[in-house]
Amino acid sequence: MSMAEQSDLLVRVQREDFSVDAEINRVRSRSKRIGGISIFLGTARDHSKGRDVDSITFEHYEGMAQKKLREIRERALKDFDILELLIVHRYGEITIGENIVLIIAGAEHRAEAFRACKWAIDELKQITPIWKLEHTPSGEVWVEEHP
Amino acid sequence: MITVKLFGMTKSLADNQPNLTLALGKNQSVKTVIELVNKRYPKIGELIHNKKILVSVNQEIAHEDTKVQEGDEVALLPPFAGGNLEGQVE
Repeated sequence: MSMAEQSDLLVRVQREDFSVDAEINRVRSRSKRIGGISIFLGTARDHSKGRDVDSITFEHYEGMAQKKLREIRERALKDFDILELLIVHRYGEITIGENIVLIIAGAEHRAEAFRACKWAIDELKQITPIWKLEHTPSGEVWVEEHP
Repeated sequence: MITVKLFGMTKSLADNQPNLTLALGKNQSVKTVIELVNKRYPKIGELIHNKKILVSVNQEIAHEDTKVQEGDEVALLPPFAGGNLEGQVE
């Protein structure tokens, strides 16, 4: 597999669900120097700002979303002492409890894995063109902000 | 002619069209794009004016002076699901 194909698998925006185990193994297989792996998994909750939520639809800007996620991975590899960073984000309709987004950072030691993982999810939320439509009993709401 | 991609609430405000086609002359900038959008959809124009909606050109956040020419990929970006867009323009 070429370098480009490998990095395509390490940054993905996809409709289908992902296997957290398979993605951890993808990161683990990148380097035998990895000794600490940190994970952030975002899932769909049934409540938002005092409203019940039945399901969520994610929309993304095809091309720009992937570009921003690739930038986040590249910056994390440069700015933190980590060996790999994987980002997968889903789009389309997501049922309550399902996976939405996964970040995995692999490093020699845990401290940098934790730091890179936290930075990457915070950055993703700031700069990635992905929009969230919550389906509630009283109608649909485009979500503007989420801390 | 340029095509402007719409997403999220921007699409809802434009009768659920996925994009708008605008007649744009030569040597124009994002400012003109905003004026044309504002004529057709004043509500979107107002949100752009209040920086609630950002304009991107070729998948990068643009400002009023960014040049736009035929073939460029222009999009109107409402606030992202996860964050606040303010402060990101520069």
